[in-house]
Amino acid sequence: MAESTKIQEPIGGIMEGVTEALNADAVEALAGGEPVWLAERRREAWSAYERTPLPTTRLEEWRYTDLRRKLKLDSLRRGEWAERTFDRSGAPERLVQAMDADRAASGHLVEFDGAVAHVDLLEELAAKGVTLTPLRKAISEQGELLESLLATEALPASAGKFQALNAALWTDGVLLHVPRGVRLELPVRVTRWFSAESAGAAHFSRTLIIAEEGSQVSYVDEVLSDDLPAQTLISSAVEVFARPSAQVQYVSLQRLGRGAFHLSQQRTLAERDSTLDTLNVSLGASTARLDLNARLLGPGANSDMLGLYFGDEDQHFDHNTSQDHVAPHANSDLLYKGALDGDARAVFRGIIKVHPGAQQTDAYQTNRNLLLSEEARADSLPNLEIEADDVRCSHGATVGQLDQDSLFYLMSRGMPRSVAERLVVMGFLGEVLSRLPLGGVVEKISGIVEEKLHG
Amino acid sequence: MSDTPILTIRNLHGKVADEDIEILHGVDLEIGRGEIHAIMGPNGSGKSTLAKTLSGHPGYEATDGEVIFEGEDLLEQEPDERSQSGLFLAFQYPVEIPGVSIANFLRTALQARLDEDEELDLFDFQDQLLSRMELLDMDPTFAERAVNDGFSGGEKKRNEILQMAMLQPKLALMDETDSGLDIDALQVVAHGVNALAKENPEMSFLIITHYQRLLNYIRPDHVHVMVGGRIVRSGGPEVAEELEASGYESFKPAAAG
Repeated sequence: MAESTKIQEPIGGIMEGVTEALNADAVEALAGGEPVWLAERRREAWSAYERTPLPTTRLEEWRYTDLRRKLKLDSLRRGEWAERTFDRSGAPERLVQAMDADRAASGHLVEFDGAVAHVDLLEELAAKGVTLTPLRKAISEQGELLESLLATEALPASAGKFQALNAALWTDGVLLHVPRGVRLELPVRVTRWFSAESAGAAHFSRTLIIAEEGSQVSYVDEVLSDDLPAQTLISSAVEVFARPSAQVQYVSLQRLGRGAFHLSQQRTLAERDSTLDTLNVSLGASTARLDLNARLLGPGANSDMLGLYFGDEDQHFDHNTSQDHVAPHANSDLLYKGALDGDARAVFRGIIKVHPGAQQTDAYQTNRNLLLSEEARADSLPNLEIEADDVRCSHGATVGQLDQDSLFYLMSRGMPRSVAERLVVMGFLGEVLSRLPLGGVVEKISGIVEEKLHG
Repeated sequence: MSDTPILTIRNLHGKVADEDIEILHGVDLEIGRGEIHAIMGPNGSGKSTLAKTLSGHPGYEATDGEVIFEGEDLLEQEPDERSQSGLFLAFQYPVEIPGVSIANFLRTALQARLDEDEELDLFDFQDQLLSRMELLDMDPTFAERAVNDGFSGGEKKRNEILQMAMLQPKLALMDETDSGLDIDALQVVAHGVNALAKENPEMSFLIITHYQRLLNYIRPDHVHVMVGGRIVRSGGPEVAEELEASGYESFKPAAAG
């Protein structure tokens, strides 16, 4: 094949990760019918991807996740976008269950194998100017907004190899725009399903959330699948803007089946007096990597960053977080807790960066791990980088075993060992959920974690 | 049935699981239904080892002898089975379980007693919890707090008594429940024990204590003195008074002989 000959000859640079499926032709296939700004943005992103080497374990950020061994880029085909409609009666059972577990919402969006298949939004909210729309559709309908904010300020291609890949090859996703002063009482619920047909492919989706000044919104993204028969790359790029005094809660609930390689790359921008909280729950996938960068851009901004993970068998979770304090007088508080059973492994690497001039910063970071088996492993690497002198920062990390005295205490009240273990683990993880003021969502997550603990 | 003892201990020897040194050197004890027994002894006499061995603590091991509880070999049972057959241990040092409310903890313990396809009636549970807390003069919000998390010594012991009241055991072992308590907390514990004993005349207690003061509030039927891993003296409440007057010193020769 002529094309494959071409791509195997690097022209004056690195071309690692360029494959039969992931290449410049794939970019052109998408860029073809698109506005010039977007086509150019994809090409630039692709060029950044080509120029950036694949991370190795020699890089601190990838030290514990051997990407070259874990992700077989060469074997992946390209996930094709196809027009979809959502038919509830024919939908997979697990998808319907996930949707029914917490139905109360301001609006729903369902994505099926990487293409948005359904959107609804309360009429009163649409009347107030709220936009909830497939990203693909937003290219024509919200062109100006996308041109200025998609993969620019928040998560540009320059952020890293895979951020670039997503910016070059995204096929669909979500745009949520909440106008000034509009407050959504119920969360926006997004459910993204990957079927067995999607297995073996690479899927790229983006989420862009903009909460204008004084607005309020919570957003729950649930990505799920059954076990997938071949390695499947699911790349999610998330950009969240909280304009001055806006209040945003972003929740990601990852329940993919084995075989999935989940890459979630999130950047949150919190402006003056805004609140921008995140919760990332990782339960599924064979390998899940989270890169979360919270940027505190205005005085009075506040970000609570919560994380919860429970791994078993040979699952591998890698969390890479940063709290970027650019502005003075802002707060961030991170709490990631996880339990690991079987041969599962978790990595937490977090950094608090206080930029020069960001005085009166309050920034905290805590990671706690509970190991339920001899073989499970957790590595925790908290870090501080402080370039201001009037700040309050702290970090802490623990890796511990299930306490035998606790288990005996519970067993002495009549609980069999398995029940006692579950109760201790739920109590341990529950601290994270108790900090999220979203009743229905918390209940749902709690139920799902307990279900997984039951095995 | 009610004539047979609830608990029979014969020649029980025991040790800390990881060590070779024997702590219990042949304990014999029989507790009848509805009886309140007290075991008194100095530090290191083996009182707590006895309580932990009876409840199945994995850190302790019975090396000889037998324990019959409700007609069954107790030492063969897992801690949860012992609890389900009606044994309760009030801990000397109750354990903190962060993130688990007392109500949830009790609900789970009671659910574990039911058959797999049976669901605990949550309304009945709530009613029962409230009435037990009322019986023990407890604030209803207490049950919403995480088990022993940040509790004072007195609150921890109160929680033990509440659990005992909810689980309704046939025999409660109280392992130095009075240690480190001020007089108010001590009275709460005593009030709980007396209220339960009155409510259920079949319920038996084995109160393990270093001091006589708890026995000022709970009147035992039988008092045993434990020294050097053996019971060296058994008698009525007068034994406790004797101890109060003369201390443990006078019992040591008996242990040696």
